[in-house]
Amino acid sequence: MSHGAKGGATVKERAELALNNDFLRKAVKFTTERLKNGKLQAMKEHGNWEEWRERGRQIRLHTIAHLDYYLNLFVENARANGVHVHFAETAQEAVDISMAIAERVSAKTVVKSKSMVSEELHLNAALEKIGVEAIETDLGEYIIQLADEPPSHIIIPAIHKNRYQIAELLSEDAGETLEADTKILAGYVRRRLRSKFLEADIGMTGCNFAIAETGSMVLFENEGNARMVTTLPKTQITLMGMERIIPSWADLEVMATLLPRSATGQKLTMYMSGITGPRRSEDADGPDEMHIIIVDNGRSLQLGDPEFQELLNCIRCGACLNACPVYRHIGGHAYGGTYSGPIGAVLTPSLNKNIAEWDDIANASSLCGACYEACPVKIPLHDMLVYLRRRKVEAGHSNKLEDAGMKGFATLFSKSGRMSTVLKLGKIGQKFVARDGGIRLKIGPLKGWNTYRVTPTLPKKSFRQQWATLDAEIREGLKEMSPDIKRRMEQAVQSRKNGGTHGHGHS
Amino acid sequence: MDTANMQEQWLKEMEEKSRAKQLKFIGHISSKLRRPMVNEAPKHPFRGAPDFWNAYEWTEQERIERFTENFKSVGGHVERLSSMEDVQRFITDKANELDAKYIIRQNEPGLAALGLEERLPEAKISVWNTDTEENWKARSAEADIGVVLVDHAAAYTSSMVVLSSKDKGRSVSLLPTVLIAIIPLDRLKTRLGEVMEKFDAAGRENLPAGIHFISGPSRSSDIENDLTIGVHGPGIVYALLVG
Amino acid sequence: MKVSLFITCLSDAIYPRVGEAMVRLLARYGVTLEFPPIQTCCGQPAFNSGYWNEARTTAKTIIEAFEDSDFVIAPSGSCTGMIHHYPKLFENDPAMLDKALALQSKTYEFTQFLVNVLGVTDVGATFRHKVTYHPSCHGSRLMGIKDEPMALMTRVKGLEFVPLPHAEDCCGFGGTFAVKMSDISGAMVSEKSDHVKETEAEVLVGLDMACLMNIAGNLRYRNEPVKVMHLAELLYEGVR
Repeated sequence: MSHGAKGGATVKERAELALNNDFLRKAVKFTTERLKNGKLQAMKEHGNWEEWRERGRQIRLHTIAHLDYYLNLFVENARANGVHVHFAETAQEAVDISMAIAERVSAKTVVKSKSMVSEELHLNAALEKIGVEAIETDLGEYIIQLADEPPSHIIIPAIHKNRYQIAELLSEDAGETLEADTKILAGYVRRRLRSKFLEADIGMTGCNFAIAETGSMVLFENEGNARMVTTLPKTQITLMGMERIIPSWADLEVMATLLPRSATGQKLTMYMSGITGPRRSEDADGPDEMHIIIVDNGRSLQLGDPEFQELLNCIRCGACLNACPVYRHIGGHAYGGTYSGPIGAVLTPSLNKNIAEWDDIANASSLCGACYEACPVKIPLHDMLVYLRRRKVEAGHSNKLEDAGMKGFATLFSKSGRMSTVLKLGKIGQKFVARDGGIRLKIGPLKGWNTYRVTPTLPKKSFRQQWATLDAEIREGLKEMSPDIKRRMEQAVQSRKNGGTHGHGHS
Repeated sequence: MDTANMQEQWLKEMEEKSRAKQLKFIGHISSKLRRPMVNEAPKHPFRGAPDFWNAYEWTEQERIERFTENFKSVGGHVERLSSMEDVQRFITDKANELDAKYIIRQNEPGLAALGLEERLPEAKISVWNTDTEENWKARSAEADIGVVLVDHAAAYTSSMVVLSSKDKGRSVSLLPTVLIAIIPLDRLKTRLGEVMEKFDAAGRENLPAGIHFISGPSRSSDIENDLTIGVHGPGIVYALLVG
Repeated sequence: MKVSLFITCLSDAIYPRVGEAMVRLLARYGVTLEFPPIQTCCGQPAFNSGYWNEARTTAKTIIEAFEDSDFVIAPSGSCTGMIHHYPKLFENDPAMLDKALALQSKTYEFTQFLVNVLGVTDVGATFRHKVTYHPSCHGSRLMGIKDEPMALMTRVKGLEFVPLPHAEDCCGFGGTFAVKMSDISGAMVSEKSDHVKETEAEVLVGLDMACLMNIAGNLRYRNEPVKVMHLAELLYEGVR
């Protein structure tokens, strides 16, 4: 692909670029904030969100646990509907099949609606090579295609661009100067793409859900471009991740309840289309020929892996991006893969199976759990980030300096005596650097920390050094415990014996 | 062999390849799941929406109010009309007001009965797929107004559902600048699920190629998260609640 | 009934006053804490960085330290949360797994113990200041500590509570994250300080000294005169 992650080999370097880009930070912050609030509002208005979320999770868990059954069922039904189904284990196979179809119908242009799978495959570049023009028709996708950049958000691909930058791109495309007015710019794209829709040989789509029992594929969208792409060209190609399956239309109601609300705070996207096969023989629109390419491309790596299988439950709503404080500061491109934000940080290394190379993405998280809380199907992304870090260490790909540090950590904290010794040394050491009970030195291990903070100094006595005195004083004047409190404590111990738990939200 | 036959032949070859690959591809999934391939329908205890939701229902009056409120909130227009005569009057007035030159409608008796052809002699009114030689996509694309009779509607999300058929083009609700959709009140349900269950009940063989839920005018927030109406689909949508 | 204090390394080394406040507050209800001196760190820095062998080493020390306690109370939702991760850490070691589960079921964050076990919400404190509250992520999201601190604070006389805008946003600490991704972390804590400043509160309280050290460090770096306290300190200050 011609475009890739720009500047910097590591998340840290790319993040630095993003952090210094004031516009990008403001734009991303503004939009994610709006989407996040929209979601919260929609959840509140709809009510019983936890029940819905749990239902969504159960449907996804069930489907993935029986993915072989449901995928076979879908394929048989889709074929019965007249769809040509293909299987692609790798990105290359999916590209080859798409190109073969395009060549068979002597396609000149392909109009595409938004598809993250197609981004995974870097399909546009491949089509270009054989002389087929691929046109992204989602407004945001069209803009970043002109800019030759990958999407930086699952739902709002051009979240990082302002309307002046967009006006410039579209003006160049139009060959005339367009005013940086949203209406004018969108109007231009409408006119420009209308003829493309009508002339294109192939319409290409992604797939939000595939209904096993009827062989239907379902698309959610707001602009109408996915409808254009599935209505006008003679040939339709749908790229579908193999995990997109749900059993029935009844299950679609649950997904339709969770996806738009989580993505944009909408009750439903303006269009939701269920396409069941090519046009019927007497229909006057819809494709003559319909292909569905079912893509693995690393997905099966998560199957049967208890720590990561739930990744396949993802419905690509982008809520974890909008909730993530790290994403909000660094934007999507800093993640360096097709998928960004918390889901990208876990999905990219999982799909690629190259933990060592991608691991630094897993480090770009404070493990705050906002992603898990936002996820409509409750994927424990924050736990998965820790598992990724652990796998890297286990595979021997960790940083040697950190290895030594962590060995030291274990040695230090396995015995409390060692900890006390170090604290004593620290108290001596800080005498040279502390002012007014704070350390501002920006060298060595304190550099990153002290660039933004003052480090507190160690007090004269640690808690354990004060303990004996404190304990003696307390026992001296101790009050008797009230019978009520005593009873409550005994009850707590009792309920624990009966298997009751407290606290932990998710495990 | 002519091109069509060659393509047939190729598709056949591809299908054979696909069937062979299917065994391997899905077999791989079974092996990753560490068990033999499942061929029996598994019990699905969580099918569909939670029970409390399936029992949720509004009165007709509530459905009308909530549909109207939701549809307007996303930039759509709603008219509450009592009869098809009112519909006839509304469409005629609207076409005159917008100075519509081209109108396209689905080929349905209910719409034919509106007699738009006689009432709007100045406009060119096309009826979907009434002539197999005609380019119906182009007729829809040039239309100022598309008129459809919706098959189902759900008030909770203000969604109108249109099904494709020989007489009901998908293009009619998609390509014109303005969409006028007629919703007979007895088709207006509370929840999406009440519509979805019809498709499960109908089964694969009886589904149309296109099932489209339309919940407002085409929109995008892709430029600076600034809402724009009418990006690719109709930017002006009238929902006429009749009955 | 043996109630043990898990002081956590940060409060032990840098903020002993938090431990003292907890001990003195609970003593008012006849609850005497005992302090097993062999305790060290919960192992979270190693666990979160992927060094689970190292985390297991310190976890074993903690499990041993509290083996015969009936309750273990810690002034941190995050360290309590780490103990709740011990079963995962020992999932392939049945003998240790039992012990880990036993420790998990008896370990409480301070306000959870005070409110949910002892049933105390009004400690009888008076604190005449404008106060805002940062709910630390691990405590609020993973341990579900949301109502307890609010129940305690709303009953403090004279306390003027100002909600923190975007309170649920992470402060950017994240353990080694603050060092490894120092610029991202710095951007996050700066934003948090902006929000604290917006409230015009005199005091910022929380339940986790790690997050509070992070925010306090940034506030001090910016010369913002906001006092940062653990809720136990505030409550004890209010009753003494």
